[in-house]
Amino acid sequence: MWDLIILNPFTNVLLWIYNLIGQNFGVAVILFTILIRAITWPLNAQQLKGAKVMQDLQNDKEWLDIQKKYAKDREKLAQEQMRIYQERGINPFASCLPTLIQFPIIIGLYQSITRALAATPLTLLQLARSIYPFMNAAGIIPLNSHFLWMDLGRPEGLPFPGGFTVSFLPYGFPTLAIIVAVTTYLQTKLTLPPSTNPNDQTAAMNSMMSIYMPLFLGWLVLNYASGLAIYFVASNVLGIVQYAMMGRVNWRNLLPGGNRPVPSNARKNK
Amino acid sequence: MKRLTVLSFVLLGAILMSACSSAATRGSSWPGLSADANNAYLANGQYIYAARLSDGSKLWQYPDKAGAQEFFAKPLLTPDGQLIIGSTGTDQGLASLDPATGKEKWPTPFTGAKDRWITSPLVLDNVIYAPNGDGSLYALNLATGELLWSLPIGGPLWGTPVTDGKLIFLTSLDHFLYAIDPRSQKTVWKMNLGGSAADSPALSIDKTTLYVGSFGSKVFAINAADGSLRWTTNTNTWVWSDPAVNNSNVFVADINGQVYSLDASSGKNFWSNIIPDGPITGSPLLTADGVVVATESGSAYSLDHNGKVLWSTSLGGKIYTTPVASGNLVLIAPLGAQYLLYAVNEKDGSMLPWHFDGK
Repeated sequence: MWDLIILNPFTNVLLWIYNLIGQNFGVAVILFTILIRAITWPLNAQQLKGAKVMQDLQNDKEWLDIQKKYAKDREKLAQEQMRIYQERGINPFASCLPTLIQFPIIIGLYQSITRALAATPLTLLQLARSIYPFMNAAGIIPLNSHFLWMDLGRPEGLPFPGGFTVSFLPYGFPTLAIIVAVTTYLQTKLTLPPSTNPNDQTAAMNSMMSIYMPLFLGWLVLNYASGLAIYFVASNVLGIVQYAMMGRVNWRNLLPGGNRPVPSNARKNK
Repeated sequence: MKRLTVLSFVLLGAILMSACSSAATRGSSWPGLSADANNAYLANGQYIYAARLSDGSKLWQYPDKAGAQEFFAKPLLTPDGQLIIGSTGTDQGLASLDPATGKEKWPTPFTGAKDRWITSPLVLDNVIYAPNGDGSLYALNLATGELLWSLPIGGPLWGTPVTDGKLIFLTSLDHFLYAIDPRSQKTVWKMNLGGSAADSPALSIDKTTLYVGSFGSKVFAINAADGSLRWTTNTNTWVWSDPAVNNSNVFVADINGQVYSLDASSGKNFWSNIIPDGPITGSPLLTADGVVVATESGSAYSLDHNGKVLWSTSLGGKIYTTPVASGNLVLIAPLGAQYLLYAVNEKDGSMLPWHFDGK
């Protein structure tokens, strides 16, 4: 079912783009990422809107008051929170649902890239079965996996000077892993909403995520096909562009201490 | 607590994404099998195994402990008593083992290739000719494993080369069949197959004609001397495996599971609609009575010269690997079955009482 609805269509669209642009898989991955981002734009916008509303609520005086007042009465706190949601017409899941809907799309995109790269006999056989009859699979395979200095079917690494080797970096100096980590960090930092509440748990969690996610994705790219890394970089850059177009990029976060919570009264005095 | 939550999310993401991407660089095993009169040598997952055919007991495994390596290529027994194996791990090593003990024979494995060893090499005049996934053919000293020369060919090389004693013939996923002169290290001729070729060409008994199938849904007969086309025959879909050739017939199977018996001189198909029970990626195995084919559905079929089923047996799992003969036994290595290796009698398909599980 997953293959039929998500993976096979994604793989075929990716291969169609690849064929259309003269069989360059790196460019195909970038264009495919742009396409998926464009399709999911309304969902992203809805998610951002919902997140902004929830973020604003975290700094709302009435909201903060009930947190303090009913700190020891969970049931009453929940009732009061629901009352505020209803009075202001807020759907607390407005930012979660678009994310949940996007999740299978992102996973499908990710899987279609790995499937299309088909670096082993079994994956090539799976790819052969995924390609629609009108796509001329025999003409497409094998995919040209070379892009810039990379073989997109393998982890990326530039040779160390003088034949030097590092045991935990078997593929060489991980240029792309660093680019992935940096762009992930930038995207996370730039899209963090400003917080006025020093006790804002969401802001604290986001801040930690901005450290862990780049490290995690950088580590992932060290060991897996560099075609996926191209997707991560393209996705990060497009994410920043998308947020910028919606006026949600927070450049101040790049400055030292820029994402430190600002008391709401201090903001009002400015 | 907050830190724990974030770490849990990251860990969950790691597991999910690792599962998603694992097929790109590892996993997805593809067993390789060879045998001599007494033992079977099986490449399966992270190990090479040697199994005694008399009782299915394990002689040895290589390496002792699983590492970052996986093995797809069938182990190659050389005339001077070595067992050449190639890995798909990070080092992409080509190593020589002692078939009796499983210990390495060369001072160090050859690790100069840039990609996986999907297939086994060819040995000719004390030189190993090893095709690699990086698109190059590597010539190594048989005794030491030292690199003599390498020749960039084109796309990934997944088929074992064959030779007429002078030229080396090998296929590539780049759609071409190549004839290489090992003395000049140059391509003598090449032939477009209309699609990738994932396995070897087969030589006629008199070594004058090459038979090869491709993803272009065709089987070609090609003059080995100059690369000129003798005939071509259409198949229903992709041909993955190398053909099996006897004096008069070329047996080949496609990935829809149809088996063809072609006239070696004209390409005419004698079998109209022989479709066992699933896709076939391994080559047909020539037997005294006809051929044995193994299907992805986990079954093996013995077909006589008219395509009539003599026997069939279901082993479970999925069979991608060419069955191998040893004496009157047919050895089969399924993927994902209860056991790694099965032996059946060539005559009646009865299964031997032992099954090799690698333990």
